[in-house]
Amino acid sequence: MSLLSLENVSFGYRPQQMIFENISFDVRPGEIFCIIGPNGCGKTTLIDSILGINRPQSGRIVVSDTDLHQLKPREFAQNIAYVPQSHTKTFPYTVLDIVVMGRTYATKMFASPNTSERSRAMESLEQVGLKGFENRLYTELSGGELQLVLIARALAQEAQILIMDEPTAHLDFRHELMVMEIISWLVKEKGLTIIMATHFLNQAFYLENEGVKIRVALMNQGSFKAVGTPAEVLTKDNLKDVFKIMSSIGTTDEEGINQRFIVPLKNIR
Amino acid sequence: MSPRKKTIVTLILIILPILFFFGTICVGRYYVSLTDIFRSIWQGITGQNSGLSQETTAVILQIRLPRAFLGAMVGAALAASGAAFQGLFRNPLVSSGILGVSAGAGFGAALAIVLFNNIFLTPLFAFFFGVLAVVLSYFAGRIDNTSPTITLVLGGTIIQSIFSALISLLKYMADTATQLPAVTFWLMGSLASTKTSAVFLSFIPMVIGMIGLVVMRYRLNVLSMGDREAKTLGINVMANKWFVISFATLATAGAVCVSGIVGWIGLIIPHIARMLVGNDNKWVIPASMSLGACFVIFCDTLCRTITGGEIPLGIITALIGGPFFIYLLKKTKGRNW
Repeated sequence: MSLLSLENVSFGYRPQQMIFENISFDVRPGEIFCIIGPNGCGKTTLIDSILGINRPQSGRIVVSDTDLHQLKPREFAQNIAYVPQSHTKTFPYTVLDIVVMGRTYATKMFASPNTSERSRAMESLEQVGLKGFENRLYTELSGGELQLVLIARALAQEAQILIMDEPTAHLDFRHELMVMEIISWLVKEKGLTIIMATHFLNQAFYLENEGVKIRVALMNQGSFKAVGTPAEVLTKDNLKDVFKIMSSIGTTDEEGINQRFIVPLKNIR
Repeated sequence: MSPRKKTIVTLILIILPILFFFGTICVGRYYVSLTDIFRSIWQGITGQNSGLSQETTAVILQIRLPRAFLGAMVGAALAASGAAFQGLFRNPLVSSGILGVSAGAGFGAALAIVLFNNIFLTPLFAFFFGVLAVVLSYFAGRIDNTSPTITLVLGGTIIQSIFSALISLLKYMADTATQLPAVTFWLMGSLASTKTSAVFLSFIPMVIGMIGLVVMRYRLNVLSMGDREAKTLGINVMANKWFVISFATLATAGAVCVSGIVGWIGLIIPHIARMLVGNDNKWVIPASMSLGACFVIFCDTLCRTITGGEIPLGIITALIGGPFFIYLLKKTKGRNW
């Protein structure tokens, strides 16, 4: 059974210039599907298609047996939640105002979220470790805290599928690990399914080590070069082909943690 | 906001406009007392003689009461639509005129004055061209069936400048002895038009627009997250944008077609409202309406009392609003932005 599947999906902003072509994959319940690839390979455009922002030129995206474009906005938000890569802050809303927006689809057409929706938002805030932040202005948060707030907003949607576009893009090590811990908790404990794009290859090994079901898709120039477990896909040869780099792959056993890691060494000229 | 603060703020926002409303009726070269107001309103409703002089009841019922009503409506409508546009365009610097409604209405009014010089046609033309300008901006900013914020603003700016040029053309062509002063005075804004009771037809679009914005106010929070996030949060972005633009346009066009171009309200009142109630549009919209009503009533009172004649409202709103805004900015140290 697959929760979300893409069947030969192609998209380009101009007909003669496809960003990606004939992409097919199934995402199974309770797994992380991790899309990795160089800048400009089409990751974000692919994610936009899954979010229904781009309409594919050909192919089909199916969510729980329904064509993605048949879903009403409300139904979409019930099935898929999204954590953006970057967020432009405009008005200094409180943290709770932001998180409760995750309950928008459950709010009647012309109403505001009620107390029960607000308490659900408080729960998700607690789940990301930001209890007590509800009345802070979200414009005054650090980058790491903001990312956690946006994750809490997505959690408040209580959707089965979570889409994260570079969830640790501007974060320090500590916050990167915090986000990774939350991601692995979401999949293992709450049974969510996550589609995630990232540039941090070691995260795939981290999640695998945490006992999360994870598959990696290595994307290059608009198509998948390899799909499989992190160890199968993230090999020196594959990285050489796709990123044009020489790298070293090793294993650490510090802190009793046995985890693979990749160190990029040099560009191939 | 804490429940206690909510109660206090709600009370202030309800009581303040009522105070301003009755206050402005009292003030003027012909002073009337509060009891006079209630007695003459009672007389107006029941037809029983209140024992007041005919002059007093005429000043209250035919001049000041309608004018206070119009001031409250215009202020509330402009402030609510300004707040709505700020949320929609995710920009605290836009105001109710961003999609060209004021420029369009100005052109319509000028056209009616130059062509017909008819007191009934002027607001009709102003309303029609105000709405037309927004429709044109909307289609100018539409790309491939979507209306990205940035192209909408760009469309609005273009349509605004086209209508401004057309206003200049009409001024250039107008008769300098009669029409030009009328056009110029209209463009500076005034509530003096309450002399004709047809003015109250403008309440219809204003009320529809304001109810619409009050009803949509939570959606403004979601829309202010940007198109991409608003969509994934589960709303139909295009439809919601269209509704907000339509309601805000009805409110603004309804106000502008009878008051002329009164600047500043749609820009500063929402900011003052945010200082009071925070940024949740659930509160910002009603608070803006209340404060907008107070502000216009206050400015209009000055317009008709400072000098022997009438000072245009747009001049007073800018002269009061500008410095007051700077004061607030310094006092809050810009923390709300």
